[in-house]
Amino acid sequence: MHKSLDSLFLSTREKIDEEEQRIINTVRQWAEREILAKRLAYLEHYDREFAAKRRMLLMDIGLQRLALSEENGGFGWNSTTRAPSLAAVLMEIGRADAATAYLSALQFTNLLACGAKYTTPVGALISSFYSSDQPVNPALILPGPGTVDEQTPLFFGRSINVRLIHKGDEDILVGNNIRTAGCGAIADHFCVVCADSDGKPCITFVPADAQGVQRGNILKETGLNACTNADIKFNNVRISREAILKGSDAVERIYIWLNLFLGAVSIGAAMNFFEIVYDWANTRTIKGCSIMKDNPLCASVLAEVAEEIAIARFLIDDLARLISKMTVTNVQEMQHVYTMSQILGYRIQQGALRAVNRGMELMGSAGYAREWHAEKHWRDIKTIQSYLCGVGAEVPVKMDTARFFFDCKDI
Amino acid sequence: MKSIDDFSRPEEYISPMDKYFRSAVRAWAAKDVLPHRRRFDEDWKEHALIEPAFDALMANKGLGIQKALFPADLGGWGLGQSDYAFTIACTLAEEVGRADTAMAVAFMVTYWPLTTILVEPHVNRRLAAQFAPMFCNSDKAVFAALAMTEPQGGADIENMELLGGKTIKTTARLDGDEWVINGHKLWPTNTAGVGQLFGVPCTTCVGSNDPNDFALIFVPADVKGVTQGGPYEKAGMAADKNGDLWFEDVRVPAWYRAHGPGKDAEVFKEIIPWGLVGSMGFLVGAMMNLYEVLYEFVSTRTYGNRPLKENDAIAGLIGRIAGDIEVCRILAYEGARIGDRRNRPYGHPLYSEEVLAKLRNLKDFVCDRAVENFGRAMDVLGVYGPDRQYDIEKHWRDIKIIQLWMGGKQLCQMEAARFFYNCKTL
Repeated sequence: MHKSLDSLFLSTREKIDEEEQRIINTVRQWAEREILAKRLAYLEHYDREFAAKRRMLLMDIGLQRLALSEENGGFGWNSTTRAPSLAAVLMEIGRADAATAYLSALQFTNLLACGAKYTTPVGALISSFYSSDQPVNPALILPGPGTVDEQTPLFFGRSINVRLIHKGDEDILVGNNIRTAGCGAIADHFCVVCADSDGKPCITFVPADAQGVQRGNILKETGLNACTNADIKFNNVRISREAILKGSDAVERIYIWLNLFLGAVSIGAAMNFFEIVYDWANTRTIKGCSIMKDNPLCASVLAEVAEEIAIARFLIDDLARLISKMTVTNVQEMQHVYTMSQILGYRIQQGALRAVNRGMELMGSAGYAREWHAEKHWRDIKTIQSYLCGVGAEVPVKMDTARFFFDCKDI
Repeated sequence: MKSIDDFSRPEEYISPMDKYFRSAVRAWAAKDVLPHRRRFDEDWKEHALIEPAFDALMANKGLGIQKALFPADLGGWGLGQSDYAFTIACTLAEEVGRADTAMAVAFMVTYWPLTTILVEPHVNRRLAAQFAPMFCNSDKAVFAALAMTEPQGGADIENMELLGGKTIKTTARLDGDEWVINGHKLWPTNTAGVGQLFGVPCTTCVGSNDPNDFALIFVPADVKGVTQGGPYEKAGMAADKNGDLWFEDVRVPAWYRAHGPGKDAEVFKEIIPWGLVGSMGFLVGAMMNLYEVLYEFVSTRTYGNRPLKENDAIAGLIGRIAGDIEVCRILAYEGARIGDRRNRPYGHPLYSEEVLAKLRNLKDFVCDRAVENFGRAMDVLGVYGPDRQYDIEKHWRDIKIIQLWMGGKQLCQMEAARFFYNCKTL
């Protein structure tokens, strides 16, 4: 492909500074040199290569410290104003490998949603996680489906399956067979949406080696295969006070950042799919003579691929801009941004997946074969989309939307 | 719980043998597939788990179903002579597809090239007798393949209406009383060391679109000059091996040609309806299994502390899924019946534009609904959607290729446009 993605997919991103652009460029070079140029070798030895390339990104380039405050030795991208640039970085990583990008997205979410204020106890704790000189694997436990034999506290209809019980001077975390949104088997720490003794949503951070944390068997999942997952049991895990972040607005913040960051990851993967299908359509013939892209029907499918990605890119720019202007103290504004992030995040995931789904139709069996890499993007994006749904497909997002726009009281 | 058998189908179309086939295959699935299928993906290369399940379905030591199309006097069950051949094929595709669509594909594709010599009105007795022992007397599953796709043209070879085989590069040259075949085929089901017999579309004159130059020739896998490459690693469909197939000065007797000039092109067009009806059966079977898994999940998991299925919005969504399964099943059997009407006064030949266009329409529709519904169902399961323990994600990965194969959506749309709008140049 001789055109650059930036020249094809225009961005409404507002001006970013030189330093930000330099980091985005560095990550792009990492993606192109270390992964995209060696795609088959990367896939063939995925476990080993994934770890090596990710280490290079996080440690050598230093991305693990990107969203850490300067006071904690980071790059200082720990404010909402950095939302567009952080999304741009994740897009570049996602273009190379969605699993690598997913892990970085979780790191950024933890830091931006909960630890941006490094001076707070919880901020200091989270910052300490990412000050490590080793790549850190986070995992996230979100509200999701409940079970019919148990009434749980809710976060806007979604069940909170982990309880934080206050006993005497202690806070104890309890939860059985808890499903993480990926990475359960490899996590160094968990960011857990739980309910306190009053049934109110809150967040705790739990080191994976804390006493009482037990991992279940490794799960086989559709995509994000490097983010090996397992169910988790919190068997009366003692939680220190500084590891607790109270208030449902903290949970809303997690969703806001997740929608932005995971949207960027999926768009990145979809853009690499675009490159793959571009090359395919330029080199394959149809009806024995014409180049595939010059057949009007194939061209219309290719157009849909481009449309979905172009629109998703505009949406992510809008979401990033919205977040960058968000003030953390205004609850009403927070709810508005939360709702918009759910709407846009859902649309972005749908668009990215639809782009790949349609493009695969033209590639036929090549789109389905591992060696072409298209199917990996397809599986990875689908996995992210399902994680973000949590439960009930788009219904929880629709309920959030109706609740905000129509003041619904009982949904 | 309602049963999967509660999904409608036109009962007056159904063969009297249906219930026997269905119960036998369902019992096989319960014993030989469902307990193991979550490990099939890792078995894509070796087939150590998958092969015994095929033996239990296809070979004499199991149900012996691989002999079904052969005439009874040659050791088969005579289904090739049945007025219900398509309808029974749909039933089999559905039941095996419910368990594992890749197994359904590999098993049904074995019939595919054989339909051209075993199904009325095109029975070739000499070839039937030649190949009957291979399939009827074996205690192991025996696979056949239809080696169509070529590297340069993708699905062009299936576009017979427009191209008439002119893109085919695999050549057949008559040398005395033998055909000499040279060429390269890509991705046929049941290759990569699995196939023992290949139906090979060839041209006797490169670049010609004259139907007389199209040849369908049977080639046993053990003939000198046949090379099968290793299996492709894919997104799913682990039980279906696809690889490259090379023919280098391969010699087979002249009478291994299916029927001869002109007729070969006709029977080749007739295999497309079989593939389309089979595809719909696979998808409906998979969707019936989707319903089983989804029923359990939405009944036992909650949103707002109520079962998912009792939330009006989620009920609307899963209701649509059930509705689509219902409609798709009816359409699949309607499609099968179009095939079974081929010899009736009110029917149309399988090679006719009408049959091709209508079946491609139906397949396209069912594919779209299946792809959409599996994706939707994964999202209903949310964080559990990508988990293989819930089976839906495996079907989601597996069934995507059904939408892509046989020319994919675009060829379906072209065939429909040609027929319904009298297009001349598509």
